[in-house]
Amino acid sequence: MSRANTLVRLALRNLRRQARRSAITAAAMIVGGALMIFSLSIGDGGHEDWIRSGARMGSGHIAIQAPNFQKSRKIDDRLPAPARAAAEAALLSPQIAEHLLAAVPQLAVVGLSSSPTGARPAQIVGVDPIAEAEFSILDDKLVEGRYLEPDDRLAAYIGAGLMEGLDLRLGSRLVLTAQDADGEIAGQLVRVVGVYRTGVPEVDQVMIHIPLATAGSWLRSGDDVTTIAVLLDSSDRVRPTSRMLNRELSAEIEAGDLTVLSWREAMPVLDAAVRIDDLGNYVWQGIMFGIIALGIVNTVLMSVLYRKREFGLLQALGFTPRQTGGLIVTEGIILTFVSGLIGIALGLFLTWYFFRDGLDFSFAWDEEWSFSGIAMDPVFVPLFRTTRVLQSLVFLFLIGTFASIYPAYRATRIDVAEAMKFER
Amino acid sequence: MNDGNTAAVRTDEVWKIFEQEAEEVQAVRGVTLVIEPGEFVAMAGPSGSGKTTLLNLIGGLTRPSRGGIWVDGRDIATMSNRALARMRLERIGFIFQAYNLLPVLTALENAEFPLLLQGVNGGERHRRVKALFERTGLAGLEDRRPGKLSGGQQQRVAVIRAVVGEPALVLADEPTANLDRAASDRLLDMMEELNRDLGTTFVFATHDPRVMERARRLIRLVDGAIESDERRGPEPQQ
Repeated sequence: MSRANTLVRLALRNLRRQARRSAITAAAMIVGGALMIFSLSIGDGGHEDWIRSGARMGSGHIAIQAPNFQKSRKIDDRLPAPARAAAEAALLSPQIAEHLLAAVPQLAVVGLSSSPTGARPAQIVGVDPIAEAEFSILDDKLVEGRYLEPDDRLAAYIGAGLMEGLDLRLGSRLVLTAQDADGEIAGQLVRVVGVYRTGVPEVDQVMIHIPLATAGSWLRSGDDVTTIAVLLDSSDRVRPTSRMLNRELSAEIEAGDLTVLSWREAMPVLDAAVRIDDLGNYVWQGIMFGIIALGIVNTVLMSVLYRKREFGLLQALGFTPRQTGGLIVTEGIILTFVSGLIGIALGLFLTWYFFRDGLDFSFAWDEEWSFSGIAMDPVFVPLFRTTRVLQSLVFLFLIGTFASIYPAYRATRIDVAEAMKFER
Repeated sequence: MNDGNTAAVRTDEVWKIFEQEAEEVQAVRGVTLVIEPGEFVAMAGPSGSGKTTLLNLIGGLTRPSRGGIWVDGRDIATMSNRALARMRLERIGFIFQAYNLLPVLTALENAEFPLLLQGVNGGERHRRVKALFERTGLAGLEDRRPGKLSGGQQQRVAVIRAVVGEPALVLADEPTANLDRAASDRLLDMMEELNRDLGTTFVFATHDPRVMERARRLIRLVDGAIESDERRGPEPQQ
């Protein structure tokens, strides 16, 4: 045994000797670890669903746009053709393509939609019908008619909210009005070919899909687009893919022709919602682990008082006060780390075993529930991430360390001669 | 007589005063003594005479209220806690009344514990401890936990632990108090032998007549002060 080994071996044997006390503390950590990984997995799964849903209703996990488009939403801030070509070429690089589900061109403008009964503001998006059907979830939300098809010319796919607001039906005509690329106000007649319902009023009342070619000719923008929306296989890939795109497109970015926005930048409301939800989760876990930590402090402190004579003996034999404290902290770390590991493993297993198909909250809300402009699925499918396991382990490690510090401090302060008189 | 620099223990006008409920208790009152290397000394006296407190002061387990204490020529009264722990580890061995073995370690691990803290390698530790186990009749009990040993066996393991690091001084507080006559005699034989063969200085705090009989120097304490200091044999050779 080396001296470091001595501490670990003594700590391990002390834990084993005080089996009941160790088991009680371990049980708290196991339950805490399991609950933590369960709530993180469910939370992450829910967030991933929100993000995917938000990405597929809007501009993807990553949006490649002209620098000012995010703010202006004007056709003047569209991607120049060379910049679009460079972006599309960059998306073909193997490292990016490996995680790419879809990359679609969109020509989005803010305008007005009018029918004989009235007019409503509209978010008009020119799309490639085939590519968009792969990318978007709007086609899945069809309630009447059909989604756009490649041969469509004057077709529009509109939300149920807008249809009701403008008193439209399938086949009804409506006029779209917006500023074109020349700065003129231009109108375009289209006919309703399909109606969707996402359950999100902000979408259902304003979003209109029309064929990209129709939009290009109506707005006199030719083949230009305002956005290339990129959908990835996981939101975890957003950061590395953004980094790669920024590297690949550095010349265009420096020239001010385009910018690469992550979903967090492109959808700040959703970003805030995810952060707030995460924060709520952390606060809840903080409270739970605060209570567990207090329990551990109490248990370890009682053990320090009970073992006063042992600590006196160790110091009489040559342990320094710091080593004595180190023994307590080592015991705390080993106990919380091992039990935390068991808790996390148990949590992962139980979450996977019972909830791998999702935790269904549909009893609590109807299927068309939205949050921050995003349609939410009431079934939360857990998402398991290695980083979460590592984070949890580090967190439990810190809990074990901090919960042991005060008892360890008390152990360093004992009067050795008095401790040797201590009767258990 | 030693001038103190080469003495195993030297105290100079040592006082230990405890505050108890606003009252001062003078546990040790101005004790001055010199213990030579290799001595076998008993400090005797009734309960409350201050013998355990004096032993704790010499062992650096408690600090004097005033006065000086030197162990192996080093001033321990003013040492830092860390240096004192090092001093206890390397130069002082302790034997307590209640055996005080670590219950989670085996007999062998208890005995080698000071060597372990000193950083002595495993082979050397085992060699030294095994030799002492053989010598003290404990061979074969190395892997037993303290709970599986008799009181006498536990106290012998405690003695091995106290001497295995070859300290300058072994302090024993009522080492025979919990032992029957046969176990006490055997323990005292063992300590006398180690004292004689290894030259280790032993200082006992005791009120056991058998220990007092065996001691070659008997210091009687009354009310925290030395009442008498009687030598029964020749001073050990330096």
